[in-house]
Amino acid sequence: MIIALIIIGSIFIGIFFYNSLIGKKNQVTNAFSAIDVMLKKRFDLIPNLVEVVKQYTTYEQGTLTKIVELRSKAGVPNISNAEKADLDAQLSSNVRGLMVNVENYPHLKANTNFINLQTTWTESEEQIAAARRAYNAAVTDYNNSIMMFPGSLFAGILNFHPIAVLETAAEERKNISAKERFNI
Amino acid sequence: MLLDIANNVALQQVLATMEVTRKKIAAIQTKGYIFIAAGIVFCILISVLGFPIPGVIGGIIPLIYGSVLLFNVNDSLTAYRHAYKTNVIGAALTFLDESLSINPYQGITASEFMYTQLFVQEPDRYKTEDLVTGCADRTRFYFAEIHAEYKTVTQTKNGRQTTWHDIFSGIIFAADFNKNFNGITIVRPKDFANALGAWFSKNVFSFGGNDVIKLENVDFDKTFVTYGSDQVEARYILTPSLMERILALNHQTRYDISLSFIESRMYIAFPLNRNYFEAPVFKSLVNAEALNDDITTIKFMYDIVKELDLNTRIWGKG
Repeated sequence: MIIALIIIGSIFIGIFFYNSLIGKKNQVTNAFSAIDVMLKKRFDLIPNLVEVVKQYTTYEQGTLTKIVELRSKAGVPNISNAEKADLDAQLSSNVRGLMVNVENYPHLKANTNFINLQTTWTESEEQIAAARRAYNAAVTDYNNSIMMFPGSLFAGILNFHPIAVLETAAEERKNISAKERFNI
Repeated sequence: MLLDIANNVALQQVLATMEVTRKKIAAIQTKGYIFIAAGIVFCILISVLGFPIPGVIGGIIPLIYGSVLLFNVNDSLTAYRHAYKTNVIGAALTFLDESLSINPYQGITASEFMYTQLFVQEPDRYKTEDLVTGCADRTRFYFAEIHAEYKTVTQTKNGRQTTWHDIFSGIIFAADFNKNFNGITIVRPKDFANALGAWFSKNVFSFGGNDVIKLENVDFDKTFVTYGSDQVEARYILTPSLMERILALNHQTRYDISLSFIESRMYIAFPLNRNYFEAPVFKSLVNAEALNDDITTIKFMYDIVKELDLNTRIWGKG
């Protein structure tokens, strides 16, 4: 009787830990897809941004071409997550540079479309930062589960491996400041 | 000190007029209490000496007189308290910011209290007063005093006994948040019950639609338990800088605060152990100790907008 109870208890505990590990792994996948959605939203802003900036300036052509190029690279299907994150980092840095240079073009700075694009861009930056933090929290939770006993036993059997967290760029760790960002 | 009460002529004139009323009310109330006490003492003393009937008769007369005095002064007391709130607190608010105003008979409704999701228990008795509304730069805000209680009924040998327990006593502050969001994020102090509940819903089973949000700020996670309907949105609201600002705000208060973010609005509950914005009766209005306390509280609430940087509107919300 006692042995039977122990066996049934072990089976239940086993199911609980197995489900919990699978749940945490799925959370990691979900969290990454959230980043993906946010990135797509941000990439979609680029054509409008380029169009508006083009109308007011002839001096930022180099930056604009670079931005368009990066955007089309990011739009290629089946690129890896790492590549996508790298392209996003490069895009962000170029757009940030462009936003700072806007100070030299008062008409562009006052354009309503441009102002809207600026706020949407900032919004998307903070949303991506939030999605990355959510992803890192899910990864940490998953890694803790598979590295700690008794999860480590199941991780070995299921061939689960720790996942690396996303490094936050120094630029993203800074608080977003409208003043610094847009010279307003 | 935001407002130099001692050198503010307009306010000093209002305080001087009200001080006369206060002294009158205090004198009548003192007289009333003395007569009541004298009646009781006389009744006990004469009864102990063996004359209970003359004792009761002799004691009841001053007792009734004292009660009548207190009853008669009640209307003046109410008018005095109202005048203090509108003329003194109201004036102090306007000095701080033209947009600020106080309504002593309004507050935050019981339904909004539950809507904030800051508290789980539904109140059986609910009192709210002193609604202050205003605008700090681009951010509209309001706050009010709230006392919410629930009751428990126990069966004793003497019959049913009702006991009242506090759900919340203090000020709830609401402000228009500077970002758009659709879900719900709740930040509660990490007491034993909340910590246990959070562990249970994270590791075993989550009730309702809100999950525990594990945030990366260690101090914040030690002080609060965060729940949210969306992991990403909760982090979009609770940025590293806002978490630091909330911690700094929490350090300025004696009891831990709770926060909720619902439909683009932010609510903060400040538990307090005294009733604010009440006119003193037995303390002078001229030395303004109570007034200083009230003004400090108002200034504290007003500064939350600045402390939490709610006027930075760069996230697509005007």
